[in-house]
Amino acid sequence: MVQTTKLVYSNFKYVILASIIFVSMLIGLLILSEYIFLEPYVVAHLPSGSEFGFVLIVILSALSALVIPMNVFRINILKSSKQKMGGGIFGSIIGAASGVCSCGPVGFAIISTFGSVGATATAFLTNYEIPIRIIAIAILAVTYFTTVKSLKVECNLNH
Amino acid sequence: MNKKGIIVGVIVVAIVTGISVSYLSPSSETVNLDMGRTHGTISTAMASPILGDPSAPITIVEFGDYQCERCYEWFHETKPSIVQDYIDTGKANLVFVDLAFLGKDSIPASMATYCAEDQEMYWEYHDLLYNFQEHVDNGWANSERLKAFAFSLGLDKDLFESCLDSEKYSKRVQYNIQQARENGVRGTPGFFIVGPNGQQQIGGAQPFSVFKQILDPMI
Repeated sequence: MVQTTKLVYSNFKYVILASIIFVSMLIGLLILSEYIFLEPYVVAHLPSGSEFGFVLIVILSALSALVIPMNVFRINILKSSKQKMGGGIFGSIIGAASGVCSCGPVGFAIISTFGSVGATATAFLTNYEIPIRIIAIAILAVTYFTTVKSLKVECNLNH
Repeated sequence: MNKKGIIVGVIVVAIVTGISVSYLSPSSETVNLDMGRTHGTISTAMASPILGDPSAPITIVEFGDYQCERCYEWFHETKPSIVQDYIDTGKANLVFVDLAFLGKDSIPASMATYCAEDQEMYWEYHDLLYNFQEHVDNGWANSERLKAFAFSLGLDKDLFESCLDSEKYSKRVQYNIQQARENGVRGTPGFFIVGPNGQQQIGGAQPFSVFKQILDPMI
């Protein structure tokens, strides 16, 4: 597993891609989840009781940054199928969507645009924020292991 | 004839007494609104009563939803310090304006607070809702629970129920939601700090330090 991961990240291009994904996803989610405020002053705030949610965002961002470049590598270098890439993106999106809707600007925009359907959707994403993020992390973890397994076979790393 | 006269006299006295009592006794459902009340660009005529000294130089206008978990966080994490340092000391006061948008129970919860105001228990009821908040639309703020909250505060059960069931304050809540939209509030909680020299908007459940940085120069 380590050997496969090293193979991908020995190419500096994928390290940069992973860093960009991690930083942009982490900062974006922290802003949308209101752990970071930009106005009127830039300030970070971790309310008591929301520590677990914060940790899940960090794990989600880290796993997305690990899995997505590995699949880009598979597609670019090995010309493999895009199926696993879909798993990584799907996990990242559902993880990102949970919690960011709630009562903030995103939720307000969705409810204002889609009315009661939007309200039901945002209520679901808000009420089940933690379980949804855990499911998203599980999807990314499964995608990571299957990607490593595929790369081992495709790159003949066992031989 | 004499008997008839006595009966008519009793009826007249009863009617006069009834009318007098209804005019003289204070009605518990009377709405005492100052329709000209504004804070900065916001019309707070239909908003909550003022928390703190009405003549304080600064007013914090909070836009909130009783089902919003960020409002819950702000209520428990930031508001106590603001009350202690600015409201209790007479430096600022606070007005709550409903931006009830999150779920189907949000508007009834806001209406219920004004039914409590009829019995002069607005802020007690407001605080109770934020203390017992649960997930959006999971039943914690349905009609029965809202009535139970009123009962737990010792409010007149019949008056409260008739007020809530009649949706007496539906338009008041809608007016407040409209104020939020007109003032560009895009989520809850949202704040305007209105001072002698203008107003400053704050979006989200920001920490006490942010409010302090804005409030202190205004005093």
